[in-house]
Amino acid sequence: MNIFKALVMREILDGKNGYIRVPLILAAVTIVLLLLSSIGFGNAIQFDEMHKEGIENLGDAMALAQEKEAHEMPAAITLGYWGMTALPWVALPFVIFFSLLGSLYEERRDRSILFWKSMPTADWQEVLAKLFVPIIVAPLIFLTVVIAAQLLIALLLSIVVLFQGGPFLVMWPLWFMIQTWIGWVFMYLAFALWALPMFAWVSLVSAFADRMPFLWAVLAPAILIAVEAIFFETARVGTWIGKHLGGWTEHAFGSTGRHIDGPRDVLTMLTGEAQMNAYSYSLTSLHFWIGIVIAGGFIYAAIEMRKRAI
Amino acid sequence: MTDTNTNSPAGETKVIEAVGLSKSFGDFHALNSVDFSMPMGRIVGVIGANGAGKTTMLNAILGLTSYEGDLKVLGHNPATERDALMKDVCFIADIATLPKWMKVSEVLDYVERVHPQFDRAKAMDFLSRTNVPLDKKVRALSKGMTVQVHLAVVMSIEAKLLVLDEPTLGLDIIFRKRFYQSLLEEYFDEDRTVIITTHQVEEVEHILTDVMFIKDGNIVLEADMDDLTQQFIEVMVEKGKEDEALALKPISHGVSFGKATCVYKNIDRDTLAKLGETRRLGLADIFVATMTGDGQ
Repeated sequence: MNIFKALVMREILDGKNGYIRVPLILAAVTIVLLLLSSIGFGNAIQFDEMHKEGIENLGDAMALAQEKEAHEMPAAITLGYWGMTALPWVALPFVIFFSLLGSLYEERRDRSILFWKSMPTADWQEVLAKLFVPIIVAPLIFLTVVIAAQLLIALLLSIVVLFQGGPFLVMWPLWFMIQTWIGWVFMYLAFALWALPMFAWVSLVSAFADRMPFLWAVLAPAILIAVEAIFFETARVGTWIGKHLGGWTEHAFGSTGRHIDGPRDVLTMLTGEAQMNAYSYSLTSLHFWIGIVIAGGFIYAAIEMRKRAI
Repeated sequence: MTDTNTNSPAGETKVIEAVGLSKSFGDFHALNSVDFSMPMGRIVGVIGANGAGKTTMLNAILGLTSYEGDLKVLGHNPATERDALMKDVCFIADIATLPKWMKVSEVLDYVERVHPQFDRAKAMDFLSRTNVPLDKKVRALSKGMTVQVHLAVVMSIEAKLLVLDEPTLGLDIIFRKRFYQSLLEEYFDEDRTVIITTHQVEEVEHILTDVMFIKDGNIVLEADMDDLTQQFIEVMVEKGKEDEALALKPISHGVSFGKATCVYKNIDRDTLAKLGETRRLGLADIFVATMTGDGQ
């Protein structure tokens, strides 16, 4: 286990630009933009219709909202924080994809694989560490940065609200925030498990491509889709890939038919019901399990390639 | 080396035992069913032209390539147990394989975490005798410094077998001399075996205990260094004794400084001394004589 930990630490160090710097920079950009806009809030609001209701600033807005919709406030603010910290998440899929794509390719290209192989680490440990870090560790680092950003935003906004004479404690719906953080982990895990065959494919490409792994990773499935469309006039491969990259949620959540009224309902759904649906649908879906089996095959092949690579 | 070395005590621990070791790339036979074994406590020079099969043989020993035949290294099957094997085996397979994105100190951190036999203090001691900056990335180091870091790591691991494939390529002569000296004085002992391949044969021949010549995937000679250098004698034949010299069937002959020179294998030195001035051949010359003449 210590070996695996050492490999994980090495992978994080190797990819620290993508895993740590990218979310930090994007979170910093988010906070700077927010600061600028909250400084300008008092002026901007002058042009808004809400001015009629006597809203001069954020403090007034919060006071009014708290008065009218107290029940919805914690959920609304929590969702607001998530909305404000959306920027880092945009980068996550790219970070995962490119990290996986380089993981078993770069070490062969720069010959450092000969150094890694001179150490008492097994090839399966190496390959699993190189999957584990982009797929599991990177998203958790992103989440940690987002949590820190949300707390910082809450702090900044509550200071603003405090100075403007508004209800600053409203800015701290901590329990709701914690629920969404935990909920995010479970939700991400479901998405990651569905997408595992794609992740494993990229990893396998990284293990066998001698050149241009990007083209292999992207073009090979694209050609498969095109060939299928031309010769069979069907789109099964494309549909299958789409389903695993998020299309499955349509079936998991589509049939609930639940009436959503206000932020609180959204949040309740996202942190409880949605996960229940996601997991009960996934675990009983043949598609899901076929994907897991295919992922296992790709990972096995990647390990075998790593054994033979020098 | 078992066949030619009569000095080795019976029941000596074998570090490597290979029987019928073969490796082909398509129609090309990189290794042609070779048999050999290496005992503990030796420094073995593996010498051969480029493409002779040296690296293929070493890669098989290190578990870096698949092979046919029977191969045991320290009791392990290298093809399936590389990770276990690497606890007791160290190698530098090529220069500049250290990860360029790591700082020198991070390389040491990593090795310390994964290798139970690594002694960091020892590595720091080796590095303190160099100008290598610990906080720089490997990418920023010169070729020579990179090799120094790698050697410092390798020399600080308590391994039973050390394999060095062209370990000092691209290094200046002072460092090369120092390296082989510390390899002999600080690293090598009777519980360790070192395998070296190099093109600069002159620099290693004084530390080798055994040599192995490889040609076209075959082992053409395995010998104890002392035995070998006694077998080959070069004579600067005095004028008028050329016919006599040729009659003794030299394995190769030529002319230098206006005199005929003949190389003999397994001919009594006293006999040869009558023909002219004699001298022992260097390993490089023995290699050339073996590969080109009738010495094999």
